[in-house]
Amino acid sequence: MSGGIARGRLAEERKAWRKNHPHGFVAKPETLSDGTVNLMVWHCTIPGKTGTDWEGGFFPLTLHFSEDYPSKPPKCKFPPGFFHPNVYPSGTVCLSILNEDSGWRPAITVKQILVGIQDLLDQPNPADPAQTEGYHLFIQDATEYKKRVRQQAKQYPPLV
Amino acid sequence: MASLKHLPAVKGAKVLMVGAGGIGCELLKTLALSGFQDIHIIDMDTIEVSNLNRQFLFRQSHVGQSKAKVAREAVLKFRPHISITPYHANVKDSDFNVDFFKQFNVVLNGLDNLDARRHVNRLCLAADVPLIESGTTGFLGQVTVHVKGRTECYECQPKPAPKTYPVCTITSTPSKFVHCIVWAKELLFAKLFGDKNQANDLNVRSSDGASSSKQAEDVFEHRKDEDIEQYGRRIYDHVFGYNIEVALSNEETWKNRNRPKPIYSSEFMPNDLSQQNGSMEKNGAANDISSVSAMASLGMKNPQDVWSLKENSRVFLEALKLFFLKREKEIGNLTFDKDDQLAVEFVTAAANIRAASFGIPLHSLFEAKGIAGNIVHAVATTNAIIAGLIVIEAIKVLKNDTKNYRMTYCLEHPTRKMLLMPVEPFEPNRSCYVCSETPLSLEINTHHAKLRDFVEKIVKAMLGMSLPLIMHGSALLYEIGDDLDEEMVANYAANLDKVLSELPTPVTSGTMLTIEDLQQELSCQINIKHREEFDEEKEPDGMVLSGWTQAPSVVKDDKESIANAGSTSNEPSVEAEKNDEIEIPPEKKRKLSEISEAVYPDLSSVDGDTRNPDKLQVLDDDDELMIFDNWDSVTDKKIRMQ
Repeated sequence: MSGGIARGRLAEERKAWRKNHPHGFVAKPETLSDGTVNLMVWHCTIPGKTGTDWEGGFFPLTLHFSEDYPSKPPKCKFPPGFFHPNVYPSGTVCLSILNEDSGWRPAITVKQILVGIQDLLDQPNPADPAQTEGYHLFIQDATEYKKRVRQQAKQYPPLV
Repeated sequence: MASLKHLPAVKGAKVLMVGAGGIGCELLKTLALSGFQDIHIIDMDTIEVSNLNRQFLFRQSHVGQSKAKVAREAVLKFRPHISITPYHANVKDSDFNVDFFKQFNVVLNGLDNLDARRHVNRLCLAADVPLIESGTTGFLGQVTVHVKGRTECYECQPKPAPKTYPVCTITSTPSKFVHCIVWAKELLFAKLFGDKNQANDLNVRSSDGASSSKQAEDVFEHRKDEDIEQYGRRIYDHVFGYNIEVALSNEETWKNRNRPKPIYSSEFMPNDLSQQNGSMEKNGAANDISSVSAMASLGMKNPQDVWSLKENSRVFLEALKLFFLKREKEIGNLTFDKDDQLAVEFVTAAANIRAASFGIPLHSLFEAKGIAGNIVHAVATTNAIIAGLIVIEAIKVLKNDTKNYRMTYCLEHPTRKMLLMPVEPFEPNRSCYVCSETPLSLEINTHHAKLRDFVEKIVKAMLGMSLPLIMHGSALLYEIGDDLDEEMVANYAANLDKVLSELPTPVTSGTMLTIEDLQQELSCQINIKHREEFDEEKEPDGMVLSGWTQAPSVVKDDKESIANAGSTSNEPSVEAEKNDEIEIPPEKKRKLSEISEAVYPDLSSVDGDTRNPDKLQVLDDDDELMIFDNWDSVTDKKIRMQ
């Protein structure tokens, strides 16, 4: 019945999000071409924080929930090749609260995940690199790093 | 007031009152005088003149202000040192969530509608806060105690839905005046003045077959350049003459019934119409839309007169004309409103003409308005008694005096010298869909029924949800709410029009649907069973939900028995005393001119219910029969009054 637990929790998350969510963020279950609305995959948008190089970008993120959710965290993915020291080339986000073996707790909500990832954008964790390019620029060439971040922000303008 | 031994429990208590109307004013006063010191009140209403006769905390100068706030000020004048927190808001607002409810030791309801009662019940269950629920209807009233896991919740027993009548009774075989009223307001009025896109069964029996029904559609259209008088008479002759002739042609229907008489406008009105013309002048001065009245323009004054068939015919034509001449902009958007004079006039006249056709006694506008608007007079004394009982039960709850919890019914006539009948609370109904987790089951034709039917008839009408989420496994089939984006809205709208078996995630026999509500803390599961055929008469919805009441049979009996309430209401019905008063808003806005209208006895909805009689524990042994007798006489009288 673990599937039932995941579904029940996702319904709660869905309701909680619909009632209240941080400004500029989007999170909703994916709609397939045949009209199926699938609670196990959420399409989200994370706005870059104002006052940072990420400002103006609206970054698409997909949450993949498993049947073992919320015992296990969802897999969170930016588009492949997303520029950030803690994002794998596949787009998967590397963040302690999303790691089952370290920071994940079943009580963490979708809202907390998204806000956590928003924080991560401007505060990368150099101790845990996930891609070479982003990591090296961050460590070695701050100017070039900033430039790349701003470029990427322009690449993801607001949808509306 | 409160004896001293209660004081510690009372003083330390934080209570929430929902509703500051008829019961609420009495309740707030009694709470304050009983020593309660921390009272929160939610009421979304503002004070109206018609409240002042019984909601004694309010004065004329307060009209238009928040009930919750004014009630607080009034009570603080004589109890200045207690804390009263008013909320001028709807209890269904998301601010009043489970956490909000959790801060209270007990919640006291003085509400006027089923929807809000269910909502509060569900939140109290979710927050695990005891609920004391109340209601009054004229001289009748009740106070019930709902403690999660210990007593039944507000929804453990089926509540009579607002009365519905089988379509065929309304469209072709009315036997009571109320059937004519329903026909006039739900079918004829809706057809002529309401949303043209709404399904309407007005012509269902007059023209079977799809081809002719299209033709019949046109009959109700006001043709271009058509004289409004001519139009009115054409409608009149069609619905009271032609349609009756068509119905008469089906001999089977009338074997055991009195045959109706077709009525044509020419019988009462000369064709030259001179009588009608010129009458408009009296109305000419009244350009204010709300004061447009057929009675006024015809010089009729007394709303308590029973009009002759001829007078009814004149009012019918005049009202119809006035709608087209004075209120043309509203046509297409109107729904019947008992405070809309012209609408009441039209419905009264139409119902009376139909009644005449079917040999049913005619009624005055005053009476018809009461029936059409479901109006019951509030009695201030009943409210005061009920408020006192709420406080008594609240004190027991605060002292955790579980053995002495009582549900109390206030009767219209003393029974064995008792006006108040206490009953021990029932245990929770293990198959209650609200407070237990047993799945419901729904028989439905998954190849014909659309998601829309399921949402309207089951999720909204029966489960009482307002913002439902419907899930099939991890697929969302439906959501609604202002917060959804266009893409999702469009997707769900498309789903609504699909039959269940053709949804993106098909719903078929054996499917388990999960239904939750965005605001209510309620989740329930429905097991779908496909069934090919339904009995159109007995199961007009084309679906049968079981597990939440004694369902299929009761729902069905309900409708059947309403059609002939007089004969079935003789059965002793224990549930009656639980149910009949609950639905009727005690503090519904009303005007002096409104009458006491008998509730069409929900009493009759309960035959066949076998669960309750077993559970009823009347404290005074011999009362049981007396109560039945009493209730029957009440019922009979009410029926006769119609």
